[in-house]
Amino acid sequence: MSTGLRKITSRLFTYPPAGFVILAALGIYPAVSGNILHVEILLLAVVYAIFAMSWDILTGYTHEVNFGFAFFIGGAGYLSGALNIFLAFPPALSIPLAALAAGVSGILIGYLTLRLKGPYFSMATLAFAGILYKLSFILYKITGGEEGISGLKSLTSGPVTDFYLMWMAMVGVYFLLLFYSRSKHGTILKAIRADEDVAQSSGINTAYYKVEAFALSGLFAGIGGGLYAHAQMHTGPVMLSGSLSVLVVLLAMIGGMGTIVGPLFGGILLSILNEALRVVEAYRIVIYTGLLIVFIYLAPQGFVNLDFVRQSPWLKRFFLGKEVSHGPSSGG
Amino acid sequence: MDILVIGMVRGALYSLLAVGFVLIFSVGGILNLAHGTFYMLGAYFTFIFYSLVFRSGQSGTLISSLILAVISVSVFACLVYQVLLRKKIESLVYTMVMTLALALFVSEIMSLLFGVSGTSVPSLVEGSLSISGVKVIQHQLIILPITGLILPALWLFLKKTKMGQSIDAVSQHRTGALLMGVNVEKATLVTSGLSAGLAALAGALIAPISSVVPEMWLFPLIKAFAIAILGGMGSLTGSIIASFVLGYAEVLTSFLIDEQLTEMVSLVVIVFVLLFKPSGIMGYKAA
Amino acid sequence: MALLLEAKNLSKAFGGLQALRDVHLTVSAGERVGIIGPNGAGKTTLFNILSGFYPPNSGMVLLDGQNILGKKPYQIVNLGLTRTWQLVKPFSGMTVLEAVSVPTFSHRAKTRSSSDSAPKVDIVGILEGIGLADKIWEEVDNLNHNELRLLDISRAMATHPRILLLDEPFSGLSPREAERISRMILDLNHGGLTVLIIEHRLRELMKLVQKVMVIHFGEKIAEDTPEAIIRDSRVIQAYLGKRSPEIGLA
Repeated sequence: MSTGLRKITSRLFTYPPAGFVILAALGIYPAVSGNILHVEILLLAVVYAIFAMSWDILTGYTHEVNFGFAFFIGGAGYLSGALNIFLAFPPALSIPLAALAAGVSGILIGYLTLRLKGPYFSMATLAFAGILYKLSFILYKITGGEEGISGLKSLTSGPVTDFYLMWMAMVGVYFLLLFYSRSKHGTILKAIRADEDVAQSSGINTAYYKVEAFALSGLFAGIGGGLYAHAQMHTGPVMLSGSLSVLVVLLAMIGGMGTIVGPLFGGILLSILNEALRVVEAYRIVIYTGLLIVFIYLAPQGFVNLDFVRQSPWLKRFFLGKEVSHGPSSGG
Repeated sequence: MDILVIGMVRGALYSLLAVGFVLIFSVGGILNLAHGTFYMLGAYFTFIFYSLVFRSGQSGTLISSLILAVISVSVFACLVYQVLLRKKIESLVYTMVMTLALALFVSEIMSLLFGVSGTSVPSLVEGSLSISGVKVIQHQLIILPITGLILPALWLFLKKTKMGQSIDAVSQHRTGALLMGVNVEKATLVTSGLSAGLAALAGALIAPISSVVPEMWLFPLIKAFAIAILGGMGSLTGSIIASFVLGYAEVLTSFLIDEQLTEMVSLVVIVFVLLFKPSGIMGYKAA
Repeated sequence: MALLLEAKNLSKAFGGLQALRDVHLTVSAGERVGIIGPNGAGKTTLFNILSGFYPPNSGMVLLDGQNILGKKPYQIVNLGLTRTWQLVKPFSGMTVLEAVSVPTFSHRAKTRSSSDSAPKVDIVGILEGIGLADKIWEEVDNLNHNELRLLDISRAMATHPRILLLDEPFSGLSPREAERISRMILDLNHGGLTVLIIEHRLRELMKLVQKVMVIHFGEKIAEDTPEAIIRDSRVIQAYLGKRSPEIGLA
């Protein structure tokens, strides 16, 4: 084996087995089950997992809570939809462009909110998303107002292939974010999270890394948002709504902030729960949101961060992988 | 002239909303993202008490419904504080997320119970007046004297009563008040109820002349925050002034530019103040 | 000797409080300088200004002849001036090794060439010298107060500074631990590191430094060798008072 490959395999070895398990399970199930309904449910779960993980790379690693995440999701959804409908761009082009735009706006918003902390940062993000939400109604001639934009070109020819495209995106996002979070970027973000002044005293340009995380967060959310819009062939104000932002926050937090794998689980499992509650359709949303509140109350740091997980060597290894240090010799 | 009146009414309404928000933040350190929800519940509960409990057309019952609504929302807020928030109040992330999740939850319940298109509540005072040629709904004018009574009453409460003074002490210096023997938790509990009650009152007053829908929690929250940062997160007088500033800004935008942009004003205020106001928020490490 | 750090006419007021008034400071390359004075005299404010965390109201700061006013703290670190923190909370949520690795990601650490005038610093050696070598894999949150202080010093050293500003490095340490740190600082100084130290532990400080500055109510009231300072009547009156007999220089 070449050293490069050996390095990659040894690195993969330190990644959480739980992640592999759930990705594999999600990859295998649709192929063996014939149930289209299940596949559609899982597609939604995968979408939310992408959102939750993308949210985590910023908030989980800096502890500045982004409450306006729908900005990137809906922003990319609308942009991709508009490019598709008005300029006849194929999704293969409009989605990456929209995601790029989301990433760039991440740079912008990240830069503008650099000096804000705590509640001020959070409310600013809420405000940005709120502005975009309002604009979607004001500019109803382009955005279709309440109705949104319909008739978007679908991703592929069928729900199963749609799912696998989403699945591949999720796998990509998962590994990229995990790699990023375990690289020097993640270490620096954690340092900033602990104490930004001390990070500065170590010669780190903290502003750069914060903006970078914001941009990455936006980029991946944009990918998720664009794919989602085309999977539904529709985009509407709900993709820009405060409810969506809050939902993503809850999914990621219940899973476990700051771990990437936590939000993966949170996104997938809670979305499946949401669907499972369809048996009581009339009350479903109410029960679902109520349960989310209960979960947050019981485990404010999230499942993966619970004491009983962290302190048990088996559970810790399964969910969080092996600890890797990033001293100068391992090339961080 | 009409702008003057309408702006004043709006400012008065906003001051009820904002004062509570600032109060609970300076006393409990809680950025209560469910504040808009209490506003919304004020409206919905008024409807519930009025149409379901009393079922009569007299003004008296309407007033009682309003009062009951305000009281029940206050009690609800106290429960929320006691059960959900008290445990982890030091974590700002937790209180923000929990109150926001609560807002979502209540919104969905209202949606379930009353539907998405909203309900309606009759006015306290029917009819409209003509003030220098402009039709003004009489009910709107009622808001002014009510606010004019409530706010000074609040001031008296904070300055003259024992509980009020404890609350005042805590808002200025939590640890100091604790050391002086003030029961900080009790003060925070009372403030939660008080703050929610004010918001509920605003919601109840606005119910007859505005749509009562499940999403009506978000923008009052945003506006409360905009006013709070405009007026200073710790200053009640500041927030009252800022309430009128925002009220007039919105009315002017509505009349002079575009009615649709009214809701944007508060958002833009937030963005501008947070991004360009240079003091205090940008922390240098203390010496 | 060349002046490595020079500050002139530094003044800083917070609201109505004048924290620093017209302070001058010179540190030559290779020197060991101490700053003493009562609490609240303005010493940490001085450090905050020198390291770029506050702007002064007036005055200037030159690092090796280059004006560093207005530069961000990380930029100043990358030019060779690093400080430690009095209230220490370095990098909770990480392991010790991760924490000390953070400075190695700085621009300075990455581009250092062997011809640079800063002393060569060996991270593992620092951790060993400071006594944290066996705690490399420990979570920072599990360290005690003393270890956290040592960690902060290691972190500062890992930025390969030319001049190190230490804010009360001996605070909370036992005499033996303080002695150890003192020796390490001395060794680094012999290797070329310039040091500027704020301290209240006068016994350890006076043995270590060559020059002492006294700050009182934001003004520099004296600057001289340690021997002269402890005999200076103004200093005794303002700060040392009954403490003078404690400060043996043996």
